Amino acid sequence: MAIRPRPRSTRLLVVTLVSVSLAIITLDYRGGTTGPLAGLGRVAKAAIAPMQEAVTSVTRPVGNFFSGVANLPSLAEENRQLKEELAETRAIAVGAQRDASENEELRDLLGLQDIRGGVPALVIGNGVSNFDWTITIDKGASDGIANDMPVVAGSPEAARLVGKVIDVTADSAEVQLILDPDHAAAAEIAGTPAVGVIKGRGDQDLVMEDVDPDLSEMLGGDDNVFTLGYVVDGQPGVYPSGLLIGQISRVAPEPNSLQLPIEIRPAVDFTTLNAVLVLQPTTRRDVAGSTTP
Amino acid sequence: MTRRVLAIAAVIVTALLLQSTVFASLRLLGVRPEFLYLVTIVVAFLEGPNEGAVIGFVSGLAQDLVLNEPKGILALTLTLLGYTMGMLRQYIVSPSPFLPVMLVGLGTVAGVTFHVVVSFLLGNYDNTIAFAVRVALLSALYNAILTPLVFPILRRVFEGSRPRRVVRF
Repeated sequence: MAIRPRPRSTRLLVVTLVSVSLAIITLDYRGGTTGPLAGLGRVAKAAIAPMQEAVTSVTRPVGNFFSGVANLPSLAEENRQLKEELAETRAIAVGAQRDASENEELRDLLGLQDIRGGVPALVIGNGVSNFDWTITIDKGASDGIANDMPVVAGSPEAARLVGKVIDVTADSAEVQLILDPDHAAAAEIAGTPAVGVIKGRGDQDLVMEDVDPDLSEMLGGDDNVFTLGYVVDGQPGVYPSGLLIGQISRVAPEPNSLQLPIEIRPAVDFTTLNAVLVLQPTTRRDVAGSTTP
Repeated sequence: MTRRVLAIAAVIVTALLLQSTVFASLRLLGVRPEFLYLVTIVVAFLEGPNEGAVIGFVSGLAQDLVLNEPKGILALTLTLLGYTMGMLRQYIVSPSPFLPVMLVGLGTVAGVTFHVVVSFLLGNYDNTIAFAVRVALLSALYNAILTPLVFPILRRVFEGSRPRRVVRF
């Protein structure tokens, strides 16, 4: 091979490989998620998942160290802010405890199911491309994970939305993050009648669309945004109500527009996400009767 | 020959693993390197257009398989990139040690741009142009920075696995 390659055979090779690539693109387009290539993809993912798990378990402390160093300048300021917030939150928590017990009584009266439990999973890999907002987790079909299950961070009681399962192998699953431009979910802004659809924009803040512009005066910075459960033709949406999506970071009213674009900072820090919880349908709240949190 | 195939497979799997684990948290201004572009360009530089096209196709297909995008786009991109870089190499006579770094940088910009354009034409790109430009430039810079580390390793791997009986000149 070290001998100068003959140009004709090289050209033939390249033309062949390019043709095969084009054939693969076409086949995959026609086959969709059930085609032979999607199946082959699942085999590849199943093969690479154990290796990702091994590498991640070794490198996680190192990665955490580096992201810690990178964030050092902002940490002191953040620490001060968090202390202030903690004091405020403590005061609010006292009131919340009272509300929670009242809430529980009312829930019992209404016969609503609560979100309880879920399958905890570790993040073993991030998407391989810069244009791919997914994570791989270490639980799969053998742990009862299936497509379209909601994935959250934090406890089931204070769940922050991460995304949903889009592909499952026996022992790993792929989760589409809410940052993905292909991802959309129904949402509501706490304390207001505003509802809309949140969409991912890659590394930028999420955007909430279809909000009634007349409500712009009621919306403020830092308002919490939650998922909104719904039922269409007896089929519930992917997400149950009441998962925290994030806080409003910017409201940009445009004069004479029928839309009110709202930017939302996600509640989850996706760069340091290590563990998630997969909510299963049996543990999901009955969305048909759910109430605004 | 078997050794060579094994070496190529090991290089591609390692690149995919690094890309999806370690470098997901070691980002340069929010962008991670594009390892398979880097591997393809370096191999094309060392071994010529034939090898460049083959390793480009295989590594592109490998990444395509674990992605949720239409499969084959990266295989197409990296086949052409490997071939072009291998051809280009034959026409450049420069002893500069920075040549691989330059080629990796330029090749990554061109490759990422091509990939975005093809994805867009297939109706699969739904981000802003500004983001694509940022990713193309920053991942190229990141790849170029990593070249002095990766280049010697790949050279060793490929020289060690080269068939012995070949006449070299």
